[in-house]
Amino acid sequence: MTEMNDEFKIISVPGLVNWIFLLLVFSIITTIGNCMGYRHPISESLIGMIILSLIALSGVWMENNLPFKIPSIIYIIIIGFILAFPLVPTSAIIIYYVSEVEIISIVTVFLAYVGIGMGNSWDEIRSLDWKALILTMIIITALYVSSGIVTQFINL
Amino acid sequence: MKHIYREKTDKRILKKNPWKNYKLHITILFLVIIAESIGPIEIELLEGVEVSIMPLLYSMVLGLVCYLAKPINWIKRKQARIAEGAMMLFIGILIAKLAVSSGQSIHLIFEMGPALMLQELGHLATILIALPVALLLGFKREAIGMTNSIGREPEVGVVVDKYGFNSPEARGIFALFIIGTIIGTVFISFLASLSTSLLPLHPFAFAMASGVGSASMNAAALGPTLAAFPALETQIEAFAGFSNLLSFSVGIYIVIFLALPLTEKMYYKLEPKIGRRSSSKKEGGDDDGNE
Repeated sequence: MTEMNDEFKIISVPGLVNWIFLLLVFSIITTIGNCMGYRHPISESLIGMIILSLIALSGVWMENNLPFKIPSIIYIIIIGFILAFPLVPTSAIIIYYVSEVEIISIVTVFLAYVGIGMGNSWDEIRSLDWKALILTMIIITALYVSSGIVTQFINL
Repeated sequence: MKHIYREKTDKRILKKNPWKNYKLHITILFLVIIAESIGPIEIELLEGVEVSIMPLLYSMVLGLVCYLAKPINWIKRKQARIAEGAMMLFIGILIAKLAVSSGQSIHLIFEMGPALMLQELGHLATILIALPVALLLGFKREAIGMTNSIGREPEVGVVVDKYGFNSPEARGIFALFIIGTIIGTVFISFLASLSTSLLPLHPFAFAMASGVGSASMNAAALGPTLAAFPALETQIEAFAGFSNLLSFSVGIYIVIFLALPLTEKMYYKLEPKIGRRSSSKKEGGDDDGNE
């Protein structure tokens, strides 16, 4: 299983210009899917996607340019959270446009990229151990169900 | 050594304007259009038990098919590398969307937040179920790495840090990480779809459950949940985002201080009783040896 260690690190795209254009391409594709699948108006969805792209972009930029060892995900959560916080003046506009973008439309485009990216590791995927496969499914099921039940009993 | 060269070419591919690779992006656009025009399909397994298959599943499967199908010769290794490299960027958009939903529903989260943190204790139930199964399947110390958590990036870090890169425990969690990356999104989407029609839980409980894994797993589980409770969209997104945030922040401490020590203790208690004898001679042997 040692070859898995080499596959472990995914190299991400470098460079600010690359990020901007990739996010733009992604936004356009998502907007089209969002309008087709969920009948949202095209200009609102596009503006919503551009807002989300800017949040993601600032998070990734901060990870690469600020001296702290904080992953971009944390920056993105903080920025998005603050911008939509009810007391912040930007919140009404941000919420209006962002709620025009369905999260499922975003995932549909994202997983299309994941599907093509998976092709690269197809040989490793085929040689996976069936026992580990079963165990992974059991772990995900157990965690999903137990977490749902715990929440239910705590306070709903 | 192959991978060192591979890494260099990968870096070159990704530096050279990956957004200009119109073959890749136009193909993706077509896949998305196909997926969205098919729309969700509901399949009734038994009476009253429905599984809805979402467009996000078709787009992923179609993407893989594009790579593997011989006639589609414009999607190759290069395109796949770009798709893989861009994933980290695109996941930011997903997280931004969840963060905005959470900020919007902050009052709800404050009302229920502190108690919801206990939700992370669901981890412990997972160990009680998964570890015995792992032992019955014949895993040895790999089981410690495999059953302590759902095996996303932070947990992989913890296990590698504690046991070392070449330990059986690390091998276990690597396997979990890789399989989880491959089947996790698809599997949790089916699971969420099945659970929402089978289990009598509150919509917010399903929302919290969606957040147990990675961000893309979270979104994949959200799809069927939102479809089942369309009136509560923003709140469900908010709770799922919050739960995912907890998994990343609180969850990691649960793994370090509770789950991992518990898994280890249980392993040494249970292994002599139910561990497969056939491979017990090989101390710390790898799981490939049991076949």
